[in-house]
Amino acid sequence: MVATLINEQAEAVVYAPATGLLSYMWLLIAIPAVSALILLLAGKAANRWGHWLGVASVLASFVLGLTLFFQLRNLENRSVVENLYSFIPVGNLRVDFGLLFDPLAACFVLLITGVGFLIHLYATGYMAHDEGRRRFFGYFNLFIAAMLLLVLGNNYVMLYFGWEGVGLASYLLISFWYGRPAAATAGKKAFLMNRVGDAGLVLGIFLMFAWLGSTNYEVVFNNIGTLGSTTVLLIGLALLAGACGKSGQFPLQAWLPDAMEGPTPVSALIHAATMVTAGVYLIARSNPIFSENTTLQTVVVSVGAITLLLGCIIGTAKDDIKRVLAWSTVSQIGYMFLGVGLGGGAYALAIIHLLAHGFFKANMFLGAGSVMHGMNDQVDIRRFGGLYKYMRITWLTFMMGWLAIIGIPPLSGFFTKEPIIVAAFSRPGWTGWLFGLAALLGAGLTAFYMTRLFILTFHGPKRWTTAKEGLVDQHPHESPAVMTIPLILLALGSIVAGGLMVTSVPQWLEPVLGPETAEHPKIAHGALTALSLVLTVAGAGLAYALFRKGTALTPQPAGVLVTAARNNLYTDAFNEAVFEKPGNWLTRLLVFVDNKGVDGLVNGLAAAVGGGSGRLRRLQTGFVRSYALSMLVGGVLVLGAFLAVQLGWMG
Amino acid sequence: MGDTISFPHLDYAALWPMLILFGAACVGVLVEAFVPKAWRNTVQLVLSLLAMGAALVMVIKRAAAGVTAANAHTASDAISIDKAGLFLQGALLVLGIVSLLLIGERTLETGGPFVAQAAITVGSEADRRQAARESGATEVYPLALFALAGMLLFVTANDLLVMFVALEVFSLPLYLLCALARRKRLLSQEAAVKYFLLGAFASAFFLFGVAMVYGFANAVDFNSIHANISTSDKPFALLLIGLAMLAIGLLFKVAAVPFHVWTPDVYQGAPTPVTAFMAACTKAAAFGGLARVLYVGFDRSNWNFTPVLGVIAVLTMLVGAVLAVTQTDLKRLLAYSSVANAGYLLVGVLGGGAAGLSSMLFYLVAYGFAIIAAFALLTLVRDADGEATHLSRWAGLGRRSPFFASVFTFLLLAFAGLPLTSGFTAKFAVFGAAIGGGQTWLVLFGVLSSIILAFPYLRVIVMMWLSEPGDTTPSVSIPGALTSAALMVGVLVTLLLGVAPSSLLDLANNAASFVR
Amino acid sequence: MTLLDVALAVAGLLAVAGGVAVVSTKQLVRAGLWLVVALGAVAVEFLLLGAEFAAWVQVLIYVGAVVVLLLFAVMLTRAPIGPSPDLDRPLLPALLVGAAAGLGLAGLFAAAFGRLTVPAPGAGTAQKLGTAIFDDWVLPFEVLSVLLLAALVGAIVLSRRESTR
Repeated sequence: MVATLINEQAEAVVYAPATGLLSYMWLLIAIPAVSALILLLAGKAANRWGHWLGVASVLASFVLGLTLFFQLRNLENRSVVENLYSFIPVGNLRVDFGLLFDPLAACFVLLITGVGFLIHLYATGYMAHDEGRRRFFGYFNLFIAAMLLLVLGNNYVMLYFGWEGVGLASYLLISFWYGRPAAATAGKKAFLMNRVGDAGLVLGIFLMFAWLGSTNYEVVFNNIGTLGSTTVLLIGLALLAGACGKSGQFPLQAWLPDAMEGPTPVSALIHAATMVTAGVYLIARSNPIFSENTTLQTVVVSVGAITLLLGCIIGTAKDDIKRVLAWSTVSQIGYMFLGVGLGGGAYALAIIHLLAHGFFKANMFLGAGSVMHGMNDQVDIRRFGGLYKYMRITWLTFMMGWLAIIGIPPLSGFFTKEPIIVAAFSRPGWTGWLFGLAALLGAGLTAFYMTRLFILTFHGPKRWTTAKEGLVDQHPHESPAVMTIPLILLALGSIVAGGLMVTSVPQWLEPVLGPETAEHPKIAHGALTALSLVLTVAGAGLAYALFRKGTALTPQPAGVLVTAARNNLYTDAFNEAVFEKPGNWLTRLLVFVDNKGVDGLVNGLAAAVGGGSGRLRRLQTGFVRSYALSMLVGGVLVLGAFLAVQLGWMG
Repeated sequence: MGDTISFPHLDYAALWPMLILFGAACVGVLVEAFVPKAWRNTVQLVLSLLAMGAALVMVIKRAAAGVTAANAHTASDAISIDKAGLFLQGALLVLGIVSLLLIGERTLETGGPFVAQAAITVGSEADRRQAARESGATEVYPLALFALAGMLLFVTANDLLVMFVALEVFSLPLYLLCALARRKRLLSQEAAVKYFLLGAFASAFFLFGVAMVYGFANAVDFNSIHANISTSDKPFALLLIGLAMLAIGLLFKVAAVPFHVWTPDVYQGAPTPVTAFMAACTKAAAFGGLARVLYVGFDRSNWNFTPVLGVIAVLTMLVGAVLAVTQTDLKRLLAYSSVANAGYLLVGVLGGGAAGLSSMLFYLVAYGFAIIAAFALLTLVRDADGEATHLSRWAGLGRRSPFFASVFTFLLLAFAGLPLTSGFTAKFAVFGAAIGGGQTWLVLFGVLSSIILAFPYLRVIVMMWLSEPGDTTPSVSIPGALTSAALMVGVLVTLLLGVAPSSLLDLANNAASFVR
Repeated sequence: MTLLDVALAVAGLLAVAGGVAVVSTKQLVRAGLWLVVALGAVAVEFLLLGAEFAAWVQVLIYVGAVVVLLLFAVMLTRAPIGPSPDLDRPLLPALLVGAAAGLGLAGLFAAAFGRLTVPAPGAGTAQKLGTAIFDDWVLPFEVLSVLLLAALVGAIVLSRRESTR
């Protein structure tokens, strides 16, 4: 045997060089990137045709992606790499600008460009009257290009490039409407939390670099088995932090719902169907690392379970249509994390849930946009009701999304969520019960709050705002064809995607994620399916019974749990108390010491009172003598440290 | 008694760059005396640019001829023109040329950024007259040349005395240049005096350090110091204190915490082109000197300075980043960011070995270009009172001048270390070197501080793009040819080093060796 | 106790007294002048010890360039001639810091060099200085002249006032 298998469980990862049409895979990224550049730099000249260029570039990428996908099917090991050029070629710092096209990347390419194209198309209608439409499409194309780079890179540095790129594009899209302070604040929050996650990713990359000497997937995956288990755990936790930041998972979930402050459901959709799945991609891509350490997997599963319940509970108490969908996104990605954390065959399950979720969540976000479009940008579901008569297509397509997400057979959610619940129950030991029950409970809660959303929006009595209240009179109407056609396409996807993908996609992904594994759940498979269906129907029925007659127009006094859920289960307050406040104190202290010098610290109050005329004469913050004293004290400390360190060694 | 003095051999090929600059500076002094006032600025500018260009050519010729251990030392081993020294000289000259373009700009306001007569009382009638009409002092060119030549000598100095003299030679003109702002002259003069006094204080530390080291090793040249460290019978504490004091003197110049206190005041008060010059070139020179002291004179053969300098690096990164968050003036913000960047550079230096050195060299060039471009942009945003550097004044600039706001946004993203900018590659290089050198804890803090440091940049971006422009939002002046050139070069290099950094990385890697 | 010892002690006392006067005088310009005295006394010490080179460097750089520039700067910024009350600082912390730094350094030097004997320099030190300057130290010496020139240019820039029309 020539190639020594270092990791006995997994086969050595080998990627073939790209040939023929596949060697043009860089065009996938280049097309939207160039289009973004043109849109952002062309200026007003491009205002009239700019958005169509944006749509066309994504369509071109999609077609190319589809062609490459068929090419890939014919290859034996179904993965090709292409090294474009040597990015950082010095010494042991060797990073190539390389791309990898394999089954996993192909799935994501098709999802990103396919759903991306539909969103683009929809946005031409939704943004028709916005003066910043060209710029919006520029950011949009930038986002697509960065996301494609993220999934196509053949090493972690390329992934990081795309990672930062989608972060930037997302930040720009969230803050797109400058006028709104809430949008700017949300943008800041998203940036902050993502930075925390990004730091984790960066650390993970540097750790790999330190211990494995490379960040290439090939090298990392083939050698991860040589590392000690603590080392693997550290790398994995660092990557997980990155994944949690980007995917809005506990404890970094707070930014995602706020990001829905963005201008339109269109950009909100980015944060629902595509970008936030980057964390799932990262873990699935790194499956050789995560499979190496069971503690690590337990952490991932716990994060998934906590987040899915958190999202469900908070989603139940929200009244803003976009926020409910946002928290449902948080919760659904929790399912995906649960899947990738379980490992083995569940990796592929998480991916098919991700793909199916891309369809039905996109469908519902665009549906919500359509509703808002017809209702003067109203987002409060307490002020909807009875809309099914006025927007038939939106209603029907939204219904498909609703049935899909709560998991009614034969719609897609049933085929993709169900196996994750089964896989959770199959986890050995008592944790199988714990995580399985969490997933099951989540399914019931999901049915409850999604039904509440659906009923309050489309059925029951009209609760629209009126001119008599001093608000706007509503004249709901169906949206134009350019918006409804994507809705119909996505609704079709929501219906059939699950059934089509449930066996084919795991097979297709086998070279990357390993073969399917036989499940041995704690409860018989059939009984489990029946149980989850009963819970789903019960949750939906309860919501129907409670809300079919409408709801109060203002928040009602509520018990502890509901109040807590309305306040995002106090996670924001926690963040504030643990991170923000100490940070502020530290900053204030540093500013004081820096401005006043050590002098100021020593003299304290006396200087403040007795400064007198001297204070008036100074123009800047500090006296030069205070600075000098700071330097002297610093110097003494440095001297002392040098001596102490050396003495410590000698002694 | 012997009647002959044996003159040391001087390798003129190695000394040309410095000789050219010193010579041009002296000619510049004569130009002040003999060329009519109307012509002076043009003559000085052309002379300085030619001199720097010629010096650069000499550096390149020397590099092309090849540097070996045999031909590196000259002038009684007082200087060592080795590969790293040549790289630094080249970098200093290139960055110097770009900053000189800013210094030479005369179209943004009447008479340029410098005061015509520094002796005129601030606020007097004559002062107002000169601010409005008279053309700025042209002595700034010879002073800048003196400073640059001093830096070239500083990074190649092979013994501590030469290093000290070079330190003073490049510092003194900078003190003076700081005092010559055309507007806000009190701030400028105060900055100069502060810089001067604190600089003298730091020089005293350095000099004490030299004395201590001499006491221990009985020599001031790095070669003998290195040889005598292990054989000397003097108390070891003497050497430690000596090195600590040398380090303090140098850490002052690189603006490391707690010796950074001068930075914000001086950066804010100095004329912006001079600030750009200091931020790019002084930093490069000081780090070149620091690396030489640590790598050549006191390399880690039998003892270790990394923990203490590592703590300083961590403090520098964190304090710089946290305080940058609270700044409301852009020049002060960039000053604190430059403090934090000194910390990143220190991480690279402490990475050790050729990788550490090459990452530092790369970082210096990448940062130098970006910071010059950033300050070039600051000179453009102005109102009736000169540059408008208060953050609140930049609100809504993105609406008013989208192009310049985009350029500035790009530069800020580069400072924040976003991929495809030089900021990313440079940070990647220094952190990678530190990881390679087993200093993972430094990288940990480095990543942490770069997260914090992203906020102030973000705040500026938000300010520019997400606020409505007010009545007081200043306009962006159309830059003259010189500023445009400096700005364009800075931005292009920042982009280039982010997208295709391999050639400069190769160069830095090949240059990463000192000759002892 | 030789004559040299006495001279050394006198110069040393002069230097210390000059230093104390620098920080205790209430007039800014006088502080600068006292600095000349203190630095000059140190130069004398160097001379007495036979270190001419160091002595001349001291005179050239500090007394010659730096102090002059400092005085120029003080005068040009229109600092008040006469007592400035806000030059006063709390006495005790100053004494503490000064004494600690001084005693610390003194102790250090005593510990390091106390038992050291250095052979006295031979006669004809002017020639030795010449050799030293133009052989071993030719580069720094030449560069020192550049420093002086730069200081000179600076002084002119800061002080020159053309007759305004």
